[in-house]
Amino acid sequence: MEYALYLGCTIPLRFPHFEKAFREVASILDIELKEMHGSSCCPDPVATQSLNVDTWMTLAARNLAIAEKMGLDVLTICSGCFETLKTVHVLLEEDKGAFNRINAVLNKIGYKYKGTSAVTHFVELFNQQDMLNKIKNAILKPLDDLNVAAHYGCHLIRPSKIMQFDDPERPYSMDNILKTLGASTVDFASKLECCGYCARLNEDIGFKLVEEKMTDLKNLEKEVDVMVAVCPACVSQYDRKEKILSRKTDKILDIPILYLPELMAIAFGVDIDILGLTNRSVKPTKLLEKLKI
Amino acid sequence: MTEKVINANDLNKDFRYEISEKVGAKSLLKCIQCGVCSSGCTVTEYVDLQPHRVVASLLLGLKDIVLSSNAIWTCSLCHRCTERCPKGVDYSFILALLRNLAVKEGIIPKEYSDTIKVISENGFVVPYHGGMKKTIDRRREKMDLPQIISPNLDEINYIIRETGLGNLIKKEVDKKEGNK
Repeated sequence: MEYALYLGCTIPLRFPHFEKAFREVASILDIELKEMHGSSCCPDPVATQSLNVDTWMTLAARNLAIAEKMGLDVLTICSGCFETLKTVHVLLEEDKGAFNRINAVLNKIGYKYKGTSAVTHFVELFNQQDMLNKIKNAILKPLDDLNVAAHYGCHLIRPSKIMQFDDPERPYSMDNILKTLGASTVDFASKLECCGYCARLNEDIGFKLVEEKMTDLKNLEKEVDVMVAVCPACVSQYDRKEKILSRKTDKILDIPILYLPELMAIAFGVDIDILGLTNRSVKPTKLLEKLKI
Repeated sequence: MTEKVINANDLNKDFRYEISEKVGAKSLLKCIQCGVCSSGCTVTEYVDLQPHRVVASLLLGLKDIVLSSNAIWTCSLCHRCTERCPKGVDYSFILALLRNLAVKEGIIPKEYSDTIKVISENGFVVPYHGGMKKTIDRRREKMDLPQIISPNLDEINYIIRETGLGNLIKKEVDKKEGNK
């Protein structure tokens, strides 16, 4: 199995330890990753799309054209990148006018967008039955005693008419993967809530959403050992704001947030010294103690 | 609630078509004002116009009110409005088009315009040049991660200019040309 790996910017430049965990997991699962040299920001679905939809689509089509030249489908490791690349792929299929307009610009710099490379997020890939079997066979350290909360975020699954994957109101793919690792997953009222990272003009929105979700998790009967997310924006939003909130309020908010491949790497027995698990505000100390690592 | 009288002559009757002519936004004209979008909206309590009222105002032709409302920029892009609309109105995409129109009229929050500048200078939304690049490269090398091959910035800036955002990055280019 071979993919063009689209890294984006936030993970390789700010959170390279997430990339490390993902590459370790992919290698264990025999997924061959080819580098997309010269690719740019996806570009981000919030600001660039807001400023000019054509700029957003053209920069995205340039990235997709790089993968097309490699003759490979694209694998994304960030939900924002997934949203941009997949949405543009679908929009350009529907909108021939935009398709031609964008190619006219790309042709001038030596690119051609055809729409031949599909776009996949690793959650979509890992949730396929043959991959779940592979995941099961790769486990060296089952997560049997762990209670894990899955945060799907928004861009992975919505809008479903574009993402065409999982159930937008009752998502299950991440829970499937976590259960395959041996963990128990929890259901909670705010499971589908947004992390608020993209509501850029008002940080209160993010604080309110983070406080609600983390309080929800703390109030569950079962003690939640870790929350996992699949987007660097979500992970950093919860991690950073959770720490600030537990200082500012009298609540004890101390659930560590991991990027799903980090937890997979732990279950696959990857040396945790190379994973950079302490590179976050809420340290997963208790989690590692519980796992006897 | 404050009362507001709007003169019918002040309504911009073409406003709705400026948006609905775009593929992906045709659905706009199907709105039945049921309010499902607003009831599930992540930021509904923070906006001056809730989603269904943005659409109503848009359909009425209240262009200035819509483009100057904080609703179009406060959105967290969670897509629940689009997901749940019984008539298939793609509100989150319509909102992006409204932001595009506001940008054309010069209404751009700094948080948004800065992003395109960073992309123009780095190819990425994270600064990646000079000392910053060295630090990042060193960190990646230590983790045994492959070297990053940056995009050709001339290509990136050509796209930005050709698609209509040249005015947001122009100063930077002028400055660089001035330095030559």
